[in-house]
Amino acid sequence: MMKDNLEDFVREHQRDIRNNPAFRVQVQRMCQLIGVDPLSSRKSYMSELLGVGDFYCELGIQIIDICVATRSINGGLMDLDELLRRLIRRRLKGSEPVVEDDIRRAISQLKPLKGGYKIVCFGKRKMVQSVAREMNSDQAKVMTLAQYTCKFTMEDVRVAFGWDEDRIHSCVDDMLRSGIVWMDEYNEAYPEYWVMAFFSQLNSALTMANAE
Amino acid sequence: MSNTTAVPTPGAFQFPEIYNFPPFFTRQPNESTWQEQRRQWCDLILAYYRHNRLYSLTLAEAITEPPFTNRQIHRSLRVDVLRELVDDLVKQGNASWTGAKNAKDSCLVLWRKPEVWASMIYQWANERGLFNTVLTVFELANGDDTAGQEFHNLDSVTLRRALDVLQSQGKAQLFVGTSDDDMGVKLFA
Repeated sequence: MMKDNLEDFVREHQRDIRNNPAFRVQVQRMCQLIGVDPLSSRKSYMSELLGVGDFYCELGIQIIDICVATRSINGGLMDLDELLRRLIRRRLKGSEPVVEDDIRRAISQLKPLKGGYKIVCFGKRKMVQSVAREMNSDQAKVMTLAQYTCKFTMEDVRVAFGWDEDRIHSCVDDMLRSGIVWMDEYNEAYPEYWVMAFFSQLNSALTMANAE
Repeated sequence: MSNTTAVPTPGAFQFPEIYNFPPFFTRQPNESTWQEQRRQWCDLILAYYRHNRLYSLTLAEAITEPPFTNRQIHRSLRVDVLRELVDDLVKQGNASWTGAKNAKDSCLVLWRKPEVWASMIYQWANERGLFNTVLTVFELANGDDTAGQEFHNLDSVTLRRALDVLQSQGKAQLFVGTSDDDMGVKLFA
């Protein structure tokens, strides 16, 4: 009974669902409460009714595109905020607006792919990881340490966690090797290690703010 | 290429976002990151030189100026890294070492390859019915007749390279005058 009502509702409000992200989120939550997942099968009547099958598929493709294009710069790690900004910038005028929730859903659909798409968090930072890589807890700790400054020195790490030199070197080497961190040799005695994804998010936020 | 003016492109050069990233000015120890970094630098060099209609650089001087110095973030590229980048550009045909052999201290930046300049000059001569006329290289570069052409005010060393190409293609004959300014060229079908 509830399912039928929901079907009618969705059919009537198809347009709003596609064009109003807040409304879309509400409807999807409703579906989940009732026990219907509109995305579980692209052929399912619900995803067709909601007309969102294509939407998430398209979004998924755009996300993959952006991640692959930036992988050699950021090691396959991008701030969720920045991804959202890039998606909005990239999508044609007049196409449906996109919010963070949409990215999460699109990414959950990408999970089966070899790329290992998933959301990882470092402190307050939410990141999209697009390479199949397990970051160990040392690296995760350092990422969290650097979440606001975008960078760290080995000395910062030693002061924060008390690790010995070998452990710090090993951690930093791994991060360099994975391409998520770049080295700045300006101060040769204390090189700084910058997390590209953190910097990139900050920089793109500033650029967009200046452009407005 | 839509830019058909022979003067520096109006408007400030748009640096890529990575230009404000301090590590961009350090040669990265990670090999694959370095591959990406060098690619971005080479693109930047060509774009910057094209935008500002610059044709050559002396390494020791260049690193103190944009694009190799970014004053906003107090970073400069090291000379040995720039040398590696120029070697990359040479490999792709977009630069040429000048000066003392093996010194690698100065080069031409060929953001447009000599072959392309050559064909522009040749086309212009064809359109103006100037085959089989001797022109001075000076007129070619600076004369009223070439005003508005892409190669107007072209740097003389680069222009000479373009003319050498035409000569090797059998489309031109160069005549050495008493000085560089006197050099003449005859183009033919």
